[in-house]
Amino acid sequence: MILIGENINIMSNIIGPALRERNPKPIQELAKAETKTGVNYLNLSIGPARKAGDELMEWVVKTVQEVTNLPLSLDTTNPVAMEAGLRVRQGRALINSISLTRMEEELPLVKKYNADMVGLLWGREGMPRDAAERGVIAVELAYRANEMGIPNEGIWFDPIVTPVVNVDTNQVKPCLEFMNMLQDIAPGCKSTVGLSNISNGTPTHLRPYLNQTYLMILMKYGLYSAIVDAFDSELIKIAKGEKPELVDLVNRVMDGEKPDLSSLTEEEVRYVKTVRVLTGESLYSHSWLEI
Amino acid sequence: MELEIPKTLYSGKIKEIKLGKGDKAVTIGGESAYPFYLFEGEMPNLPKIAMEVWDCAPEEWAEAALEPFDGVTDDPVAWAKKCIKDYGAEMIALQLISTDPNGLNRAADEAAEVVKRVAEAIDVPLIVWGTANHDKDTEVLKKVCENCQEKKLIIGPVEEGDHKKIGAAALAYHHTVISSTPIDINLAKQLNILLGNLGIPDELIVMDPTVSSIGYGIEYCYSVMERDRMAALTQQDEKLQFPIICNLAKEVWKTKEVHILMEEDPKLGDAKKRGILMEAMTAMVLLLGGADILIMRHPKAIELAREMITELTAS
Repeated sequence: MILIGENINIMSNIIGPALRERNPKPIQELAKAETKTGVNYLNLSIGPARKAGDELMEWVVKTVQEVTNLPLSLDTTNPVAMEAGLRVRQGRALINSISLTRMEEELPLVKKYNADMVGLLWGREGMPRDAAERGVIAVELAYRANEMGIPNEGIWFDPIVTPVVNVDTNQVKPCLEFMNMLQDIAPGCKSTVGLSNISNGTPTHLRPYLNQTYLMILMKYGLYSAIVDAFDSELIKIAKGEKPELVDLVNRVMDGEKPDLSSLTEEEVRYVKTVRVLTGESLYSHSWLEI
Repeated sequence: MELEIPKTLYSGKIKEIKLGKGDKAVTIGGESAYPFYLFEGEMPNLPKIAMEVWDCAPEEWAEAALEPFDGVTDDPVAWAKKCIKDYGAEMIALQLISTDPNGLNRAADEAAEVVKRVAEAIDVPLIVWGTANHDKDTEVLKKVCENCQEKKLIIGPVEEGDHKKIGAAALAYHHTVISSTPIDINLAKQLNILLGNLGIPDELIVMDPTVSSIGYGIEYCYSVMERDRMAALTQQDEKLQFPIICNLAKEVWKTKEVHILMEEDPKLGDAKKRGILMEAMTAMVLLLGGADILIMRHPKAIELAREMITELTAS
């Protein structure tokens, strides 16, 4: 499992101002700390960066690569900023992300800078409603990328994770179904998810349960990589295969087994309850672990 | 070839709850299938209609809504009695409009006194509905709970922001609480869990999903109620297996459409009929969504809703 640390993000209360003031220290400290956690990539998210985005991306790439050798994932919706970052990047980069709506201007960057890309499965009409719509978008994106000389192996599809609190749009099952069909419709393509989005809007101290459990579920479906909170050490252990018993328990529950909760530890019960909430078997509420 | 009609698999049941006391106590809930799906399960207690009474004389009611209560709207006790005697109300819902801090802002003691007088004058179950202002409701409803010990009132709205204090007062004096959330199933479940954590037993909880009038987003309310019942009946979601109450009259009769006179817009037709039909149709939609108690205003609209309930449950 390739882990991409999500923490350098313009939305952060510390990193946001540091980016705007071009203050390298907090960013470099965070980059070093993330590197130590064992993640494989660092994501640099500067948002839409409409004003002087190119200058900002160039600066943050240079700033971060002074202190870490990890590959970088460049995260902006501004293609000019994206190219500015790629130009100064030493080594391979991951372009995060390209979707149908802007692919004509952005796909050439993948080729030109010999980068990998996240293929965001956002449709022309917005959020895909099911696995089939994701499949259609994936095929179109891969087809166009192939035409431009980008191999499937360089495309990491992101099926888009939505918060579990949005019960009417629970996309867990469609995402899993998409993962199941991915190798048939686009052989060789990889996958990634913005994992923490699943727990957006839930109580902060409980978010790791949702993030970790969803990662274990996605692992069962062959997920290649995930953009994650680098400081969730339990999550990193799970991704590195250091929690085989827990992963096995989650797999069994996913396969329909109903373990006797009284035979499990308190911690294990929490994961079982979280699987049920994620799959929609049990309706989410902020107190899902208590009932 | 024999045709097999598909059947929903139910695994849960709505809790059966008794409201009020004595001969006129009312039992609601107990459904083991979707609303009126009598071919799949049971609906042992038909939905009940509570008639609305205000604790102060209404100033902006449409003529059609005032007419049936001519002469009693400035006296909640007389009003409630008229609803029972003349219109056969099985329950009364006293709306504490006068306590609104943005309106008359009547003090808690005074409001609780009115509730007590009404509670003592009637024998059907009494619902007491505040203004959804957390601070004021806490003050008023706590006082009401205390003042009307042993009256087995139904108290609401109890929201996340005031559930602890109002819930504790209701619990102390054995009143039923109305667990009220803003058209959101996750929040509904969460508040029911919180009320349970507070020690309120299941038989003292009814749910208010928050409703609107037809023409004002009722589809959304309907969907949430439908989803409530799916979770409760097919997913064994115990924290959603509560009867549902819908406070609809206030919503219908404040819409622009019930106030426009025929002279102002002839194509809208008779104003009186229009208001009654809007209320009856709103009631109908909510019944189909799973309502167990409807709070209604116009006797004619109530008659229409009752007819529909009878017809839908005729064997």
